Amino acid sequence: MTKDALKAVLPWVLGLWLAGVTVAGLLWAPAAAGFHGDSFRIVFFHVPQAWVAVLAFCVNLVASIRYLRTRAPLDDARAAAAARLGMLFAILATVTGSIFAKLEWGMFWNWDPRETSIVILLLIYAAYFALRQAVVDEERRASLAAAFAIFAFVTMPFLIFVIPRVYSSLHPNLVEATQGAVRFKMDPGMRLVLFSALAGFTGLFAWLYSFEVRLARVLAARHSREEA
Amino acid sequence: MRRSSLLAESLAIVCKELASELRQRVALSAIGLFAITTLIAVAYQIGPYSLAENDRPFLLSALLWIILFFASMAGLARVFVKEEDAHTAKTLRLAARPHAVLLGKLVFNLLLLLALEVVVVPLYCGLMGLRIEGVLGLVLVMLAGGATLSISATFVAALIARASGSNTLFPILALPLLLPLLVAAIAGTRAAVGSPELGAVLPALRAISSLGGVTMVTALLLFPVVWRD
Repeated sequence: MTKDALKAVLPWVLGLWLAGVTVAGLLWAPAAAGFHGDSFRIVFFHVPQAWVAVLAFCVNLVASIRYLRTRAPLDDARAAAAARLGMLFAILATVTGSIFAKLEWGMFWNWDPRETSIVILLLIYAAYFALRQAVVDEERRASLAAAFAIFAFVTMPFLIFVIPRVYSSLHPNLVEATQGAVRFKMDPGMRLVLFSALAGFTGLFAWLYSFEVRLARVLAARHSREEA
Repeated sequence: MRRSSLLAESLAIVCKELASELRQRVALSAIGLFAITTLIAVAYQIGPYSLAENDRPFLLSALLWIILFFASMAGLARVFVKEEDAHTAKTLRLAARPHAVLLGKLVFNLLLLLALEVVVVPLYCGLMGLRIEGVLGLVLVMLAGGATLSISATFVAALIARASGSNTLFPILALPLLLPLLVAAIAGTRAAVGSPELGAVLPALRAISSLGGVTMVTALLLFPVVWRD
């Protein structure tokens, strides 16, 4: 199979994979103990969305570092694309998390440390775009946005890992670490669907990201043609 | 020509900032008046008697840090914004190396914040009837919190000084970066209010210091890019 044919087929494979994950998550996965009704099924969508939001933040970091090294406008476009997608998935994770919170705890929003962390991540993304909009010069915009993205990234471990563990949280933990061993607190069937969903959402992010980068390439080519 | 050291250049910038501030008192007035006005509003509305005894340590610690945070937002950006407004930034770029500029401005902002804390914290405790059990713990939390807040605020100030609408942009960019600090500082202040033991504030101090250390190193690495581009 040629590279172009593979590129044409991959989105269809991804679509089928995500459709399969959706059906498996809603109908096939075994019921989890300790949850109200079927509320646990949202985990197959909420966890991958939160994972992609953080993954996008990492991609944004890498692209920002690359931009500061290469000064290539495409790296800046990559960083902005990752941030845009990260913001989208962070909003989705917040919405699905709120639905779960309403079903399980009776309130859409409880200021749980995990909820607060995702809101701060959203605020960081919003601040990143506010900074980009406030700088007219393209090169300066790219370098200031890259510097902000890197600076914001170093505060992330405190948001994602320290604060939720310092303060008591209602949020269920999927992973349990006891005596040096890491154990997943879920049925093998659930685990299979969750890991499939994680792979599917990661693929979705990769596809949307490559789409955004291709668009940036086309716009840059048109811009240089117009200038010539 | 004798080459000056980084320390000498940084100190020269601190002196320049102090001389400039003492001449005009813009940042000092903005921060001080904002803090006093907010403090009076909070004290008038809540006062020493309207909160339940159990809620007082947490709520009063949170309110104190909110006052300090928003007061600092009113004036800490000025160190860089004024250089761009007065068109003196280019001269400063020629006169001193980037790290000296960052360190000088950072120390000045820290002095400004410590001056604010020295005035506001005793006044707040007096007006709100807040009794501090661990004074040394509170002093350490204030010092560490002030230093970490100055680092992030000074770096963000350097970023927004080069953008349009910089004054409104400052709190938008600084708030999400400073929220982890606020959470730890409020926890540390609450611990100092309730316990005379220094050990009570140590977890918060560790969190604040590690955040401060990480942001300081990152700011030093990134500042030349922000300053020169």
